This record gives sequence, structure tokens and C-alpha cells, in this order.
Amino acid sequence: MIKYFINIVAGAISLMKGLFVTFKNLFSKAVTVQYPTQKLQMTERYRGLVDLRIEKCIKCYMCVKICPTACLALAHKETAEKKKEFVYFKYNMELCCFCGLCDQVCPTQAIYLNQIYEIAVYGRDKLRDIDLLNTEKYGEWAHPTVK
Amino acid sequence: MTWSSVETIKENIHTEEFWVNMGPQHPSTHGVLYLEVKLSGETVVDLITHIGYLHRGIEKIAENRTYTQFIPFTDRLDYIAAMGNNLGYVLAVEKLMKMEVSDRAKYIRVIIAELQRVASHLVGITTFAQDLGAFATPLFYGFREREKIVELFDDICGNRLTYNYMRIGGLQFDLPKGADEKIKNIIKYMRPKIDDLESLFSSNAIFTARTKGVGALSKEKAVNYSVTGPNLRASGVKWDLRRDEPYLCYDKFDFDIPTGVNGDSWDRYKVRIEEMRQSLRIVEQAIGGLPEGDPTIKVGRIIKPEAGESYMRTEAPRGELGFYIVSDGSAYPYRMKIRSPSFSNLAVLSELAKGIKVADVVCVLGSLDIVMGDIDR
Repeated sequence: MIKYFINIVAGAISLMKGLFVTFKNLFSKAVTVQYPTQKLQMTERYRGLVDLRIEKCIKCYMCVKICPTACLALAHKETAEKKKEFVYFKYNMELCCFCGLCDQVCPTQAIYLNQIYEIAVYGRDKLRDIDLLNTEKYGEWAHPTVK
Repeated sequence: MTWSSVETIKENIHTEEFWVNMGPQHPSTHGVLYLEVKLSGETVVDLITHIGYLHRGIEKIAENRTYTQFIPFTDRLDYIAAMGNNLGYVLAVEKLMKMEVSDRAKYIRVIIAELQRVASHLVGITTFAQDLGAFATPLFYGFREREKIVELFDDICGNRLTYNYMRIGGLQFDLPKGADEKIKNIIKYMRPKIDDLESLFSSNAIFTARTKGVGALSKEKAVNYSVTGPNLRASGVKWDLRRDEPYLCYDKFDFDIPTGVNGDSWDRYKVRIEEMRQSLRIVEQAIGGLPEGDPTIKVGRIIKPEAGESYMRTEAPRGELGFYIVSDGSAYPYRMKIRSPSFSNLAVLSELAKGIKVADVVCVLGSLDIVMGDIDR
């Protein structure tokens, strides 16, 4: 019987100790942000969607070869002046794992991962066959300001 | 009703043992784990674990990817501690190629791996407490603390969960500007927070009553089941690969290996708390003696190790993580086998569960701290 009451007192004391910790946190600064109205700045190295600086690309196929999920498709043709010209350069975001290996192997820094992070869409067809040669390809997605 | 009539009712009631399905979708199984529990009343008589719901064939995928291409896949094994997997894999390939990385790369790898251990244990402990009914409060505290480390990793490598940071022969990037200050601040911030978290749990009468003496794992059984990591150390075996088989530059640092006595759920929790403190100690020493130099890669883009095999084991947050790689001299591994810590740790559950109450199965499972992505691969 005495043990029963001792247990109750011990439980109450333990509760007070726990409440002391939570009470301390009551006055600390909030760590969350109010998402749709308040947005975080992505870091400099953030890996968002794959993007292309078209004029820099030398069609070396390094990015296509290194991609672990084969989400990039590139083809080119040679003109009469022995210049390489794009036939297509497609990006399948459904397969992309945002590993950034394409960015790393690119010898001319043509392909890179941008800062877009709100990538939810209503249809899967918007994720497939994104034309990297189209400069307006990510027009629908919100572009956060880059530092 | 008289006493004698109760006795006659008891005699006439027919009871027998029955099977109950727990999972595959169950909040306390930390993923998709299916447990078949044989009950006698509320006491567990037998327990069978069914795994494989998260199987993605990663070992087979490895045979069709180059050595560098496989690094992002290692992030998806133990997704709570992706840096640990990155590290284990690149060390195995480096061992196969008999390659040495620069001192700075070694130090940064140690810092990153130890911070990942802290982050992983924070998740492990707080989700364990949530399984026992401490709803939300400690979980949010743990995740708030973990956020500091995750943000640092985001700064360093550009992602929060699937890092893909380690490279064969070094690292993808050097630490960004001001990262050393940030790491020092994290150590300063984390120490009192760990004390807070410990006082929140250790002083709690319910937490103590539900963990002490529950699911005790003896030393012999732990070794026989090849349980590793904090779970093994909680049983009183002082075995840590960082000390007993030092890799990277762990032999240069001074740290203790916390061990438990009884090997019950309480000890497993205590060892994890103490390990976080020791990890911060290692990070403090490493950041103090961080050498100058270039930690980035020096090898070519196409990696072709000589024909041969290598096995490298590292002390990941959940235990001993091993990568066995067979090379035939081509750019693709011929065969890869991953020895994941959670797999062996889960195997002991059916042994621990026998004779305890069904509600305590959740407690034991939580204290083992498994990740299904690591088990099913």
C-alpha cells in the first residue's frame, strides 16, 4: 500500500521534471516558418531541377553516360561546317534522383541543377520529356530568387 | 456469484493460443514490416518476422552501374543515416583500388560521419519514445535538434536526406566557407540539448517502467545473433570498429565506448544517448585539428579497379555495415553484397519477444532502432 503512494509521488515528481524541460522551451524562438507566405532561401549548392546553359554545351555526352537512372536523352547532328547541332536534349524528371552527378562531370559547366524546389504538378506528363533546349521550360514552376 | 461458480466457469471456458498479424502497415514498425505474433492471452509465445516489402534489388542494380553511379543508391539503404552508407561504400571501393585519400578528406569524413550518428540517434531515440506513448513532444524536440545537422549537410552537399557527398578518392566538395564555425556552434548547441532530452526521458516514470528490464538481450545471445552497434554494446560487449579496427583516422581521436549492463531496452536507449556525447567529442577534436589541403577527387572519371575482391566494414550508426565487392576488371562491379546492421538486429527480435506482453513488442522493436530500407535493400 505504501509502495502504491510512493509510486504516485515519484510519478508526479517525474512529471514536474519533464514539464520543466518543456517549460524552458516555451520561451525559446520558433524554428518553423509559415510556409506559403514565408519561404526559405535554398543553399548555394542546393540540387533542384536539371537545367542547361545551351551555348556552353559541347555535346560530349558525359552527363548522359554518368546518369544512374538514365533520365537524360541527347542527340546531335553535324552540319556541313563540321559543327555539332542539337537534335534534341530531353530530361525525364520522373526518373531523376537529383544526385548531381551530371553537374559534376560536365567539363564546361553547361548542365547544372537549379534552385527550384516546389516541383509538385497536377499531371505526370509534365514531368516527362522536359525539353532542356526550351528556355521557358520551367516557366510554370516558381523560380526562387538566386543569390 | 460465489467463488466455486467462478471456478466452474473457468473450467468450462475453452482458451487457446492464436496468431495475430501486426503490420505490414503499422505505425510502430518504422516502415513496412510484417510481424506474425502468436499470443496466449496477452503474452507472446512465438513471433515470426516477414521482411521484403521494401525490396528494390539494390545489390543487383549495382552490377549494372559503374562504381560512381552506385553512390546515390547507397543513400537509399539506411535513409536515416545516408552519410554512413556513402562512407562504407566508398571505403570498400578505395580498399579494392588500394587508394589513399588526403588527410583533409579523412578528417571531413570523420566529422560528417559522427554528426550523422548524432542525427540518426536523435531520430532513433525520439521515435522509440513515441512508440511508448510520448506523443509528439520529444519527437519534435529531437527533430528540431537534428534539423541543425541536416541544414549543415544541406549547406555542404546540397541535399537534406540523400546526400551523395562521398566520392571514390575523396569528397564531392570541400567544406563551404564558414562551415567550421557552424560545426563548432552545433557542438555548443547540441550538448545541453542532449542533456535536456535525457532528463526528459530518464526522469519519466512511465518511460522507465516500460523500458527497464524489457527485452533483455544477454551477451552470448547478442554475439550469436551477430547483433552489432549500440544494441551489442548495450548488452555489455565493448566492441566498436572505430576503436578495434580503426579506419580513416579514428585512431587519432580520444573517445570512450559506452556499454550497458543488462542489455534491456533501457540500456539500449542509454548507450545511444552516451554515444551522441562521444560523437560530439570526436567532432570537436577533428574540427580542432582539421588539416589544410584539397579533399576533392584525384581519380579519373572512369574507375576500373583491378580484378579482385574487397570487404570493408564500418561502424555505421546502427551497427556494422559491410560492403563486399567483387571486381572483374571492368567498369562495373561483378557482384556486390551488403551486410546491413538492421538485418541482424531485427533477427534477434523473435528471440527477445518470447514471453513478454504484446505491448512490449513495440518497445523492443523501437529500442532495436531498425530501418526497413536497410533490411530489405
